[in-house]
Amino acid sequence: MGENNTVGLNGDLGDDFDGKAFEGLYRRMFPTLIKYAIYLVKDAEEAQLILNDVFIAIWKNKVLLVNEKAYLFRAVKNGANNYHKASRLNYQPIEEEEVQGIVDVKADPFQSYEHKDKVRMLYDLIDQMPERRRLIFYMYRIEGFSYKEIAALLDISVRTVEDHLVKGFQFLQEKVLKNRAEFQ
Amino acid sequence: MEQEIWKLVLEYLAAKERGEWKEAANLEERLQDWISRDPLHRQELDQAIWLWESTAVVPQSDAWKSGFAAIQLPVPYEKAQKKTTFKIWLGAAAAVVAAISILIIFNKNRTVLREVVQTTWTTKTSAPGKITNIILPDSTEILLNAGSSISFPNHFRQASMRTVKLVGEAYFKVKRDPNHPFIVQSSNIQTLVLGTSFNISAWGKSSPQVTVLTGKVAVSRDSAGRQSAAIYLLPNQKAGLDAKSGLLYREKLEDARSAIGWTEGKMIFDQTPMEEVFKVIERRYGVQVIADRSFKDCKLSAKFSNIDIKEVLQTIQMTLDIHYTINKQTIYIKGGKCS
Repeated sequence: MGENNTVGLNGDLGDDFDGKAFEGLYRRMFPTLIKYAIYLVKDAEEAQLILNDVFIAIWKNKVLLVNEKAYLFRAVKNGANNYHKASRLNYQPIEEEEVQGIVDVKADPFQSYEHKDKVRMLYDLIDQMPERRRLIFYMYRIEGFSYKEIAALLDISVRTVEDHLVKGFQFLQEKVLKNRAEFQ
Repeated sequence: MEQEIWKLVLEYLAAKERGEWKEAANLEERLQDWISRDPLHRQELDQAIWLWESTAVVPQSDAWKSGFAAIQLPVPYEKAQKKTTFKIWLGAAAAVVAAISILIIFNKNRTVLREVVQTTWTTKTSAPGKITNIILPDSTEILLNAGSSISFPNHFRQASMRTVKLVGEAYFKVKRDPNHPFIVQSSNIQTLVLGTSFNISAWGKSSPQVTVLTGKVAVSRDSAGRQSAAIYLLPNQKAGLDAKSGLLYREKLEDARSAIGWTEGKMIFDQTPMEEVFKVIERRYGVQVIADRSFKDCKLSAKFSNIDIKEVLQTIQMTLDIHYTINKQTIYIKGGKCS
């Protein structure tokens, strides 16, 4: 992040901007990016629109992304900021500790699997984490952002990022220990 | 596991993933200290590492599809855009596209009108025993090792990305052009560069490896078009795909030039399984090697300069106690002992 992330193409050079590559980029970035957008605007539909606007702009301007991750996350952040400005809502972030109670503790992914797809089971557990923790987990593990980069994108401290990751991994370890049989 | 230990473990694994060996070694020492305090700790650490590795890739999901369906790529715009078009028309076209995009967002049920750009690929192959020198339209230089092939698209010069596909081994000197990244697709890995020199070996079964001589490259795992997070390589670093875990690893090398010894006809083996050694010899000299026994679990470390095949076989004869006979392009190997 912070380096030269994007390079605009002259219109007359981009005749072959590839639709397949574009779709691939969307598919690859979707899981984490949509969580980030939802986290920022607290509205799934609005988040989807912001995300798509970012991608449409890339297609339209034939922007070639050198550091696609950093660019996309920043663009979504800008989009969310504009949305907040436009909606003039008095935006108040909900502290996740308050939301935590909503997590359905009874939903136990272990019972619903006949096939032992361990990675999928792990990701079902990750999806049970509180919203911010889950997002940090995705940004760190899937996108490979550093603690510092995540802290900047979420406007929180580096220590908080580390704390969430540690607790996230602890949570996974506890669940796996409790359900050893499924993970053999 | 307590929080403090988890912090340590995460730092250690991240340092390893970034290839910061010194830091990783320091952290490992601290972990060893913790492990020695309780026999159960080793188990806990293994489990932590397993969790780390298993969470590196998100499982496939179709959730992105409905979101993507809302974007219909405004292809007509692309076709309309030619060099000769006046700027004013470009502006108008852009406005139309913007309008279309907006319409499209609110028209989710429409079918996607996407045009598939037809790409034809040209393939160049090096016959066994021969190294081919290829210069691409962008003046990128490729030395293609014997028995390897490389493909590039017909619109290579105009494309926004310079993409080539490699089977086998090649040494690349990529012409610097930050606006058009250069991408090499080879078995299960993708290598992205802006302008640099590096070697890729991606022979069928053995795990692919990328070695950097100058500049910086990004390597990611590629499975059915899905790329993992990239790891970055600097000169004298090598990345590969671990056959067991299927994960990318990074290694420091003393001298990356040994990876391109083949461009000068050299063969360098370092604890290389004999079966692979024979394959390299077959490609290098355009011969067929037939052995009357399996050389499984047999390894060879040796450096051969650009010499005659007889000298190579004589060296192997001395090390492994084999007998060989050469009949035209076929080499018969008898006996042999592994020490």
